[in-house]
Amino acid sequence: MKRLPKQHEITQLLAEWSDGNQSALDELYPLVYDELHRLARRYMSRERKGHTLQTTALINEAYVRLVDQRNVHWANRSHFFAISAQIMRRILIDHARRHAYAKRGGGAQQVSLDEAAIVTRALGSDLLRLDEALKSLAEKDPRRSQVVELRYFGGLNNEEIAGVLHVSENTVTRDWNMARAWLYQQLTESAAN
Amino acid sequence: MTPERWQQISRIFKSAISLDGEARAAYVRDQCGPDESLRSEVEKLIESHQQASAENFIGGRAADDGVVLVIDEVEEHPPRLNKGQQLGSYVIIDKLGAGGMGEVYLAKDSRLERTVALKVLSPDISADKRRMQRFSQEAKVASSLNQPNILTIFEFGEVDGLTFLATEYIDGETLRHHLRGKRLKLTETLDIAIQVLSALDAAHEAGIVHRDIKPENVMIRRRDAVVKVLDFGLAKVTEKKSHALAEEESEAATAFKTAPGVLMGTVNYMSPEQARALSVDERTDIWSIGVMLYEMVTGLMPFGGPTSSHTLVQILEKETPAFPKVADAPAELQRIIRKAMAKSPDERYQSAKDLAVDLKSLRKQLEQKSVLVADDTDRGPDKKRVLVLALVVMAVVTAGIFGWSIWRASRARSSVAVPPSAPVAAVPERLLTYWITVQEFREGKYKEPYTMAAEVSFEPKDQIRLYVSSPQAGHLYILNEPPRGAAAVPEFQILFPSPTANKGSTFLEANKQVQIPEKSWFQFDAQEGVERVWLVFSEDAVPELESVKGFASEESKGIIADMTLNKAIQDFLTTHSATKPNLEKGETLTTLKMPGKLLLYAVRLEHH
Repeated sequence: MKRLPKQHEITQLLAEWSDGNQSALDELYPLVYDELHRLARRYMSRERKGHTLQTTALINEAYVRLVDQRNVHWANRSHFFAISAQIMRRILIDHARRHAYAKRGGGAQQVSLDEAAIVTRALGSDLLRLDEALKSLAEKDPRRSQVVELRYFGGLNNEEIAGVLHVSENTVTRDWNMARAWLYQQLTESAAN
Repeated sequence: MTPERWQQISRIFKSAISLDGEARAAYVRDQCGPDESLRSEVEKLIESHQQASAENFIGGRAADDGVVLVIDEVEEHPPRLNKGQQLGSYVIIDKLGAGGMGEVYLAKDSRLERTVALKVLSPDISADKRRMQRFSQEAKVASSLNQPNILTIFEFGEVDGLTFLATEYIDGETLRHHLRGKRLKLTETLDIAIQVLSALDAAHEAGIVHRDIKPENVMIRRRDAVVKVLDFGLAKVTEKKSHALAEEESEAATAFKTAPGVLMGTVNYMSPEQARALSVDERTDIWSIGVMLYEMVTGLMPFGGPTSSHTLVQILEKETPAFPKVADAPAELQRIIRKAMAKSPDERYQSAKDLAVDLKSLRKQLEQKSVLVADDTDRGPDKKRVLVLALVVMAVVTAGIFGWSIWRASRARSSVAVPPSAPVAAVPERLLTYWITVQEFREGKYKEPYTMAAEVSFEPKDQIRLYVSSPQAGHLYILNEPPRGAAAVPEFQILFPSPTANKGSTFLEANKQVQIPEKSWFQFDAQEGVERVWLVFSEDAVPELESVKGFASEESKGIIADMTLNKAIQDFLTTHSATKPNLEKGETLTTLKMPGKLLLYAVRLEHH
C-alpha cells in the first residue's frame, strides 16, 4: 500500500530529519525519488532536441510541488536539496547504466521495456566510473564525497552546501578541491589501465 | 590507505595548494620529511588538482550534458503509436517506455474493456519469421501457465505490420528500480526470490526456460508487493543469430569486446554456459536467480569488471565471492547461493523447487528465531493478563440497496466472468493473500495509517482495515468471532459480503482486491481479548454461509442474531479448520495456501 505523498507529510518528514531523526530519511527517500523520477521522465518526453535540462530546475520544481512552502524552515530546504542530489545521482547513474545495455541492442541483452531508456552516449561510461570512484571516496571520507554529490549531482552552490553540511564555506571549498583532485586521479588512472 | 594517512595527505594538500611554485614545493618537502611515499602521493594529488582545474573537470552539473543527449535519443526514435491511435482492438492511452526490443504502451482493449501493457516489437526483431514463430509458441505456452507470479500474456499478434504482445498491466516498479543500488532486508529478499522461483517452477514444468532472469525482468506490484516475472521466452528470440563466431572464442565474449568501459548489466546474470554460448536448460535460470539473491542480500554484484569481457572471465573462472562483512546474512544463505551458482549445472540445485525448499526452510528458521527472541523479551510478569476484546463495525457509509435481487444479478454476471484460462493444476489449491492496515489512536489523535508488518497489540479506538486478494476467483466469506466468553456458541458478525463491499456478492474475481470495510474502518472498543477474523475462500459457493448473507445489512451491523445459524457456522468452521493452511508471511502481507477447493483461516487480533 503506497500512499501518495502529501505536502504536509513531506514537510513533516523533512523537519524530523533536520532534527536528527534518521528514520525519517528512509520514508522520505522513496517519496522524493518517485517525484523526481516522474518529473525527469516528463521533461524528457516533452523537451525538444538540443534543450538543456538543469538538475536544479528539476529539483526546484519537485520542491515546490512536494513541500508546503508556508511551514518550511530554510534548513529543511537544504535538506531537501541534499536528498535530491543523492537521488539525481542515482537516477542519472541508473539511466546511464540502462542506456549502456540498450545501446547493445539485439543480443541476449535487451533492455527491459518497462523503463524508458534515458541518458547519454559517451558520457555514460564516464558517469558510471565517476560514480564508482565517488563510492570509494565515500568510504574514506564521507563528507568530501557528499560535497561532490551536492554540487555535481544536486547543483547546489558552496553556500548552500555549507548550510546542508553545517560547515563553513571555506571548508566546502577545501573539501571540493581535495575531492575533485582525488577523483580526477582515480579516473585517469583507471582509464590508463 | 589508513584513515590517518588520508588525513595527513589532505592536511598537507589543503595548505600546499594555497601556496605557489617554490614555496609550495618547500612546504611539501618540509611536511613530509623523510617519508618519500607520502610526498609522492601529495605531489600526485596536487598535479591532479591542477589538471582538473585546467580541464574544468566535473565543473558543470552532471545532468546538463547527459540530458541533452537524452532528448537526442528520444528524437531519434519517435513513438510509432500516438495517444488515441488504434492497433487492432487496442487503443493507445500512453507511452510507458522504450528499449532495445521495442516500445511499451499503456493501452485499452476495447473488446474486453481492460487495460493492458502493449509491447510493440522493433522491426529488426520481428523481421525474423522463424524466431517469431517460436516466440509465438512460447508465448502461448507461457500464457497457459496462469501462475500468479508470471506476467499474464493476453495476446501475441500482428496488425498493420506491427508485431505486438499484450500483457497484463502492472502498476509497480522493477526489482532493479526497487534495489536502487542498496541491499534489501533478508525477509524481503527471501519473499521476492521465493515468488520468482514459483514462477520459474511453473515455467520449467512446462518446458520453458526464461534465460534472462535479472532485476529488470522482475516487477513488484505497488499495491500488494506481489512479484511478477516478465518476458518468458523472449530472451531466446533476441539472442544473437550467428553461431559462426563460436570457433575460437565464445560468441558472447566477442560481441562484448567492442564495448570497453561500459558496464553491461545483463552480462552480470549470465550463467557460465551462457557466457560460453553453449546450449542452456532450466539450470541457467537457477544460476541467474543465485546472482540476483546475492545482489539483493549484499547490494553488490558477485562478478563485475571494468568491461563485459572482464565480467565474463570472472563468471567462468572466479569462485563466488564470500559476502562482504556489512551483509548480516546467515551463513546458510551463503551456502544456498553458492550452490545455486555452482559453475557446473550438474552441481547446482537441479530445480527451482529444490532451491525454493531451502529458501523457505531458511525463512522458517529465521521466523522461529525472531519468535524466540520476542518471547524472551515479552516474558515480563505483567504480560500474563488475559486478553479480551471486541470489534465493532463503525457506521458504514450506505451505498445502494443491499438485497437479494442485486446479489442474484451480480452472481449471474460472475458466472460469465470466469477467468479466460482456469488453472489446470492436477491438485487443486486455494490461494488467498491478506494484509491489514492500522490506524492507531494515541493521545487523542489518529496517527497516519500504516500496513501492519507484525503482530500488533491494539488499544481502544485503534482502527483497522482488512485487504484481501487472490490470483484465483472464488467465493469469499469473512466472519468475525468475538472474544470467547462463557457462551458456548459465539455471536458471529458477518464482515464480508457487506452492503457496500463487492456489491453484496460473495464472488470475488481473480486478482481483484477488496477492502473491508469499504469506506470506513473497524474500530476496537475498550473490551480486551482475542478477536478472530475468519477468512473462508472457496471455489464454489458455501451453502452453510450463503444463508447468513441476509444479516449483512446496515441495520443489523452484520451481527447474526439467529443462534441456530451461529451454531451452524460454528460447526462449519470447526469441521473445516482441522487442516491448517500453509502460511507465507511477507513483509506486510500473508499468503495462505491450502490444498483442495476450500481455504479457511482465522486471523487473530489481540487487544489490550
